[in-house]
Amino acid sequence: MEGKAFVSGYYLDDKDLVDGIRALQEKSIEITDVRTPFPVHGLDKVLKMRRSRLPRAGFIAGALGALIGFGFQAWVFTQAWPLNFGGKPFLSVPSFIPVTFELSVLCAAFALVFGFLMRSGLGPGAPNVIFDEEVTNDRFQILLEVKGDNSEQLQAELQSAGAEGVQHHDV
Amino acid sequence: MLGRSLKSQVVAACKLYRLRTNIDTKFNTMYKSFEFDKKLKSILFAVIILGALLSVIGIVTNLDHTHRIWSNVLLNGFFFTAIALGAAFFVIVHVLGESGWHTAVQRIPEAMSLYVPLGGVFMILVLVGMHDIYHWSHTEDLDEILLGKSAYLNPTFFSIRTVVYIILWSFLIIQFRKLSLASDGSDDIRYFNKTRTLSAIFIVLFAITSSTSAWDWIMSIDAHWFSTLFGWYIFVGSFVSSIAFIIIFVFILMKMGYLEHVNDEHLHDLGKYLFGFSIFWAYLWVSQYLLIWYSNIPEETVYYVKRMEDFGFVFYANVIINFLAPFLILMARGSKRRLNWLLVTSIIVFLGHWLDTYLAIMPGTIGHPEFGILEIGMTVFVLGIFCFVFFRNFAKAPVVPENHPYFKESFDYDNIR
Amino acid sequence: MYVSPVREPLISGEKSYSKVTEDIYAPMTGKPGKLWFGGLTLALIALGFGLFSIFITVWDGIGTWGLDRTIGWGWGITNFVWWVGIGHAGTFISAILLLFRQKWRTSINRSAEAMTIFAVMCAGLFPLIHMGRLPLGFFIFPYPNTRDVWVNFNSPLLWDVFAISTYLTVSLLFWYMGLIPDIGTIRDRLLPGLKKKVYNFLSFGWTGSARHWARHESMSLILAGLAAPLVLSVHTIVSFDFATSVIPGWHTTIFPPYFVSGAVFSGFAMVLTLMIITRKAINLEDYITKAHLESMNKIIITTGSIVGIAYITELFMAWYSGVVYEQYAFVNRAFGPYWWAYWIMMTCNVITPQLFWFKKIRRSFLATFIISIFVNIGMWFERFVIIVTSLHRDFLPSSWSMYSPTWVEVGIYIGTFGLFFTLFFLFIRAFPVIAIAEVKSVLKTSSEKFIKKGK
Repeated sequence: MEGKAFVSGYYLDDKDLVDGIRALQEKSIEITDVRTPFPVHGLDKVLKMRRSRLPRAGFIAGALGALIGFGFQAWVFTQAWPLNFGGKPFLSVPSFIPVTFELSVLCAAFALVFGFLMRSGLGPGAPNVIFDEEVTNDRFQILLEVKGDNSEQLQAELQSAGAEGVQHHDV
Repeated sequence: MLGRSLKSQVVAACKLYRLRTNIDTKFNTMYKSFEFDKKLKSILFAVIILGALLSVIGIVTNLDHTHRIWSNVLLNGFFFTAIALGAAFFVIVHVLGESGWHTAVQRIPEAMSLYVPLGGVFMILVLVGMHDIYHWSHTEDLDEILLGKSAYLNPTFFSIRTVVYIILWSFLIIQFRKLSLASDGSDDIRYFNKTRTLSAIFIVLFAITSSTSAWDWIMSIDAHWFSTLFGWYIFVGSFVSSIAFIIIFVFILMKMGYLEHVNDEHLHDLGKYLFGFSIFWAYLWVSQYLLIWYSNIPEETVYYVKRMEDFGFVFYANVIINFLAPFLILMARGSKRRLNWLLVTSIIVFLGHWLDTYLAIMPGTIGHPEFGILEIGMTVFVLGIFCFVFFRNFAKAPVVPENHPYFKESFDYDNIR
Repeated sequence: MYVSPVREPLISGEKSYSKVTEDIYAPMTGKPGKLWFGGLTLALIALGFGLFSIFITVWDGIGTWGLDRTIGWGWGITNFVWWVGIGHAGTFISAILLLFRQKWRTSINRSAEAMTIFAVMCAGLFPLIHMGRLPLGFFIFPYPNTRDVWVNFNSPLLWDVFAISTYLTVSLLFWYMGLIPDIGTIRDRLLPGLKKKVYNFLSFGWTGSARHWARHESMSLILAGLAAPLVLSVHTIVSFDFATSVIPGWHTTIFPPYFVSGAVFSGFAMVLTLMIITRKAINLEDYITKAHLESMNKIIITTGSIVGIAYITELFMAWYSGVVYEQYAFVNRAFGPYWWAYWIMMTCNVITPQLFWFKKIRRSFLATFIISIFVNIGMWFERFVIIVTSLHRDFLPSSWSMYSPTWVEVGIYIGTFGLFFTLFFLFIRAFPVIAIAEVKSVLKTSSEKFIKKGK
């Protein structure tokens, strides 16, 4: 993010934000980022965001976890050291179900959480720039990247799209 | 005429149930009212007659195996009555949960529930064949254990309980239906509030009788065996089947051109129910099985040993079909929103839970798997009657409860991507 | 998303987004009041006493407890199941109510989840210390060792290890992921300094980007979808500790869903106890309203009734089964030497929640507070009755004995209260007690101000 410049404008209402985004899209202005204090419904459609692949990652991790869990238990009880527990068969499938399930859930949860953090570039000490500290309070912000010297122009566009508090930021 | 106007339908319905209403509300003709036309009637009649014929053939060829005949009467009598009851549960639980989304499809489970009185007729028929199903009904020939239970398991008390269940459920369901229609015909919120009170009463009585009826009609077949989970296990299995049927009926109605207002969000929610409760059913199945397997107490394990040894293939197929199919098919978000996938899964679930009920009954009555014209015929027969009663009742009311206070919510919500 | 104006508002008063931030951030600012210091001090004293009791247990051995033949499990495991059960409400509120799109969860889910984590930590203490030789506690994990020994995967106690560990981990992850945006909000309120640096670190660089929010929602939904069966599985596996045995009163197939229901029941009671006080103490009455109270009480009456029906089912089935040991177990519970525990359990669990059928009681903070305490007491006695009465008189009358706890066991229990409340008091100061972003997201549809406007 070093050496870049951005123009930001904020709204005080999520509906106005969506209208503003549509206005900018009509003029084919590329929106770098939209930042909000809470998830705004319909924003993913307006911004044409791709469906997250997190669910798939979670499913695969869960399936792997289940396989490893069941396979490990089966190996321990049939190959490593088979023991007779109350006459149960060595491959005691019903007994293996709880641990298999728990391991599956654990692996899926880890995949989801770490997938989310890594994909979003979030983590302890992440170098993300906060342009307006009021975004996490009550402002809905649109960020546009300045290319060359069109900062004035972008600021004007944001104003006409209904934004309040238009600003230029140097990173 | 292409269906009377909605207003006149409600007036007629309210007259039928003798309700005082104040019909001043304007009806939005956007919701195409359902007409039970001749074509559909003839199809269903054909199914019923086919089922009847096959059943007659089946009965005639099994006159020396009367317990097979009566077991099938019990199986289908119970299965479809329980599905109708599960549909009633669906409606009342959503009333108690102050839910809004379900109003788009509420009239479907409402109409399904009205089958209970007729289903009750089948259960009373079962009383006639009691001796061919329940060992404990041979009161001259009881061993020590059955004697110990005879205060509860005796033909008189059993019959009284059966009749009481049917009358109680029918009464509550019909009362609910009256209130639901009245709230359509009047702007007065009073009727809707009364459904809340009725639902609360219903759910308490339902909680008790759904278990005791399962003990009576199904568990007592294996009269030396017992399981405290059994009532809840049977109930959840029936409830999943009810949801499957709601989806099947939504499919049929949409294909016929009705229910244009039902959108992907509604389907997604129904799909979530089918998915979630199938998993819950599997969880209960595993709970009962694992605990009995683990402790390995002979008087309990005989139940499963019988099924695994003599009904082996059916036993494993039951769990696999009823768990794996909905679990794998409906896990993806997309499949829960597509009617075709929902239909396929619902049909699998319906057949699968029929199998589950089969497994709950036959090992104790017949002792080995028997499947033929009798089974198919009786199922087709009762299924046809069930569908006929559904469509007839669905036609007797407006397709949606427009005066429901949360009705608009059903059309402006979305499930997260 | 349309919400019918007939619905009761979930947020009262004239609230804007910034007022929401301000109200929820306020308890974290300034010097904590006398109440907070007093509460924390008491909690620390209790914790200290508990640590001392644990020290005695480890130093002198399990002989300092009241356990003996045939009652190998007493207060220790009762407390374990009680705490784990309480933890379940948090996940129920976060996960299952999210799946059912219940907006009222937004005011209580953060603290309920925190409560879950603290409760599970308290619960986890007991399996550890009841083993006696704490330093060898790592034996319960399957790791390759020179003795070629593995853990016994057939044992429900081992399943517990996996279940509780997974539950603690997933709850922690779910709680923290939900906290991240709110930590961002706190970070941005602070003036530059050490505190801001700490919260900046904890916020993981959260920006509020729409893309991140979309992923966050997707992740939360699936975590909820995972956490829901997890909640069911954890208390099911805990119930397996008992149900997989052959002991009358323990071995019964209804235990899994009955235990889960009881867990949600006691958990919600604890959430109510905590929230009714907290809302008053830190001025969050506009966010935790009578609407929330009524919804939670409806869940209490539902789960309480399920528990009641399970009791009746067990009683009936004991008679129906014709098994003399089973029948005696229940007769003994009601009329034997521990009859007082049984009747406390019945009164508190079956009778008191039924009072919530009355709307006036459902919507009264005072009545709910009192009933919630009774429910928690009742659920403790339920575990006590199940464990002790079934163990003290089973098959062989010559083995029948009695059990009573020693001060060491009681001390450890008091210590867990100390741990729980210490963590809770610290939580109130360090983190926002209500999910700020989530409340903002339902402000337009469910707050008094906006609903009035709509009308």
